Amino acid sequence: MRNSVVRPAPLRWVLIAGMSALAVSAVFPLLFMLQAAFRTQADWAASKIGLPTTFSLDAFARAWVQASIGTYFVNSVIVTVGAVTLSVALAATAGYAFSAIQWRGRTFAYFFILAWMAIPPLLLMVPIYVEMTDLGLVDTYWSVILLYSALNLPFNMYLMTAFFRAVPRELLEAARVDGASVNLIFIRIMLPLSIPAIATLVIFNALYVWNEFVFALLLLHDDSVRTLTVGVNQLVGKFFFDYPALLAGMLITSVPMVVVYVVFQRYLVRAISAGALK
Amino acid sequence: MATMTDQALPVRPAAAPTRRNPLRSEAKWGYIYALPAVLVLAVFVIYPFASIIVHAFTRWDGFTDPTFIGLRNFQFLLQDQTFIAALRNNIYFALSVPIQLTLPLGLAFLIHQRIRGWRFFRWTYFLPAIYSTVVLGVLARLALQVDGPLNQVLSTIGLGGLSRDWLGDASTAMPSILAIFVWANFGYNVVLFLAGMSSIDPQLPEAARIDGASQLQVLRHVFVPGLRRVMEIVLVTSTINAFAYMFTYVFTITNGGPGFSTFVVEFDIYNNAFAFQKLGYACAMGLAITVLISGLGFLQIRALTGGRE
Repeated sequence: MRNSVVRPAPLRWVLIAGMSALAVSAVFPLLFMLQAAFRTQADWAASKIGLPTTFSLDAFARAWVQASIGTYFVNSVIVTVGAVTLSVALAATAGYAFSAIQWRGRTFAYFFILAWMAIPPLLLMVPIYVEMTDLGLVDTYWSVILLYSALNLPFNMYLMTAFFRAVPRELLEAARVDGASVNLIFIRIMLPLSIPAIATLVIFNALYVWNEFVFALLLLHDDSVRTLTVGVNQLVGKFFFDYPALLAGMLITSVPMVVVYVVFQRYLVRAISAGALK
Repeated sequence: MATMTDQALPVRPAAAPTRRNPLRSEAKWGYIYALPAVLVLAVFVIYPFASIIVHAFTRWDGFTDPTFIGLRNFQFLLQDQTFIAALRNNIYFALSVPIQLTLPLGLAFLIHQRIRGWRFFRWTYFLPAIYSTVVLGVLARLALQVDGPLNQVLSTIGLGGLSRDWLGDASTAMPSILAIFVWANFGYNVVLFLAGMSSIDPQLPEAARIDGASQLQVLRHVFVPGLRRVMEIVLVTSTINAFAYMFTYVFTITNGGPGFSTFVVEFDIYNNAFAFQKLGYACAMGLAITVLISGLGFLQIRALTGGRE
């Protein structure tokens, strides 16, 4: 049954061929960067497509040192860890307040936060830039860490609240009867139970933060705080005739998230599905 | 996305009577736990949004105080040829929304039916969503250069006549960006549709097949009605993407050129604010596009839910 999804065999093979072509195109950027980044410049000049005839790590060294990709990499790690930690922590505490504690105005506050989920942030770039300048945060990690946290917060809070609501009431009641405080219940019961939800959000947010470009371009001008996406875009000018180094830089930018995808695919899909099925 | 169909918040049964006034002492903690999130959102999302609404009606250079000028910015907007050309390009990208809806739907359906190789397809199709848009944009720019790999491949396989300066000509630069935009987003939508399909009772399509329905009929009459929620999301987010998430593609692939031929509204906002110091005018553009997107989203959801009821 399952094997004959599409009844006429020729049509089935046409579909499979088309789908395979799409699959190849999806892997292609990775393969293209790989085949170029390990070449010498001379080898690249001789042929731009096909398999490399040389194997060299020089391009990575040039990108890492000369083009400060090393610095950008560290910056990207700092910003990603900071923004993801802050946003998930805020979402967890808010989700707890919205699911397990009774207080006046909580339904209103819940929907008030949720309403900002669909706002396209790029249209806000002018006031955000002005505000960050006024706060003295331009050219600091804090500018993007705070902004990314805020932008991801509505979705994160939605997911954490939904997860906490699924925790059996009896468990919380029992803990209360035993005299556990609000804080103790959060730390000892809710947080340990929500590790799968937190993992889902960490992966999902990390993907966004690591790849974000426009606000990083807008808010981080100094080389010492720049992140990889902005750095890679600069590489084009810097390494215009050194494609192996340019592609090595882009490979360094791409590989961490590809690895995250390979290892944590489950969590990513879960985050997207949760958004779709709410 | 803003439309929530959540059930009412569950009401906790009355607290155990052993503690004195437990509800009141708890309520304090509700505010304490919710406050940090509300504060961060208020300062970095809600305040900028309010600021856009206020400053859209002012002349503002960023150095001196803004002056209120009523609707002047919007009157000017309607005659601003650069803005209109940019908006036209955004609309061009938005015309791909039907493809962004149907292509992933079809692919997800085939994967859901366990077509040969479905695991491989499901895994690879999400990769474009993993790459940074900047990396994709820079790669596309390199690949489409006159002496770039695409033209090399074309001449190698004897189709040298087709090779051209893809990004140097307005008539091929826009379709090139469009193709990359659609390609970069399709896998994400496939995952959305797969999530929706897996939540549909498998007995429904089975019953339809036993009744002699073809695959297309099953897709059309069993899956599509069950996927209305996902279709809403794909429709609205694809439209938002076409109007508000094109900057990175354009900036990295053509930088708006040749001339202004691939210019988009976000680019115009960026230039007006940071090159021409017309911050008030840039805010007006941002507000106009926000209103436009909201209106389109509202119409799309109406069309999907209202059409059959």
